[in-house]
Amino acid sequence: MPVPAYTFLMLSGVLFTMGAIGFLVRRNPLVVFMCIELMLNAVNLAFAAESRYLNSLDGVVFAFLVITVAAAEVVVGIAIIVQVYRAGRQMDVDELDLMKE
Amino acid sequence: MVVGFAIVAAWELVTAAGVIGFRRPIYNALSLVANMLGLAVLFLMLNAQFLFAAQVIVYAGAVMVLFVFIIALLNPVSDLSLGRRGGEWVWGAVFGVIFAVLLAALLYNRGLTGKPGTFTPEAIGAVGNVQTIGIALYTRFLFPVEVTSVLLLVAAVGAVYLAMRRIR
Repeated sequence: MPVPAYTFLMLSGVLFTMGAIGFLVRRNPLVVFMCIELMLNAVNLAFAAESRYLNSLDGVVFAFLVITVAAAEVVVGIAIIVQVYRAGRQMDVDELDLMKE
Repeated sequence: MVVGFAIVAAWELVTAAGVIGFRRPIYNALSLVANMLGLAVLFLMLNAQFLFAAQVIVYAGAVMVLFVFIIALLNPVSDLSLGRRGGEWVWGAVFGVIFAVLLAALLYNRGLTGKPGTFTPEAIGAVGNVQTIGIALYTRFLFPVEVTSVLLLVAAVGAVYLAMRRIR
């Protein structure tokens, strides 16, 4: 295997960091969700690399479960975003502070 | 192999920068589609054909179609954070670079130190990738699979409930 395992892990770490930056910096809730997907994808890459280089199936199975959980999370999250939008509020996570009061 | 990995890794980094950098949400979504397809290629390089198919079908197919539909439905205004408040981008970049360096140093030094298992590519190839994963899913990982299926059911019920209810 010419590509060593740590390159996959480092790529995964950098992608995770970029997702985290986007999550903290962006303010559109849809884009925030996309950044969460980016982080989940990075973790999936680490799982798959672990699975390949340790000759184990655990990583692949857990990545599959992560994909499933991400699908469930997106369904509920987008339903909430649509409800917030229908309530006539702004698409800005900084302005959505109703629960604070 | 190394050249292919370098190309796909560069593709991943560029599209990830597009996800967090573009101002219009539709460009973010399209960048994320490109990112997920590149990740599927990486899965293929890692001998995980089942994950490749799941990634393309579930993520790049279903999830991103949902995102693009919602963007087309709501037509959200482009993010104003680039112009109005620049400071958060600076701080995000600074702490992001620090975090990435720490994480990469940790992963480079530690690597994968676990005990290797028995599922070598030859052993998986003899039975078939999907068959091997299916057997593992329904024997050793039966409980996580059941929990995840319950989670999917709860999510579907919750989405229907949220869609029916009209908040003020």
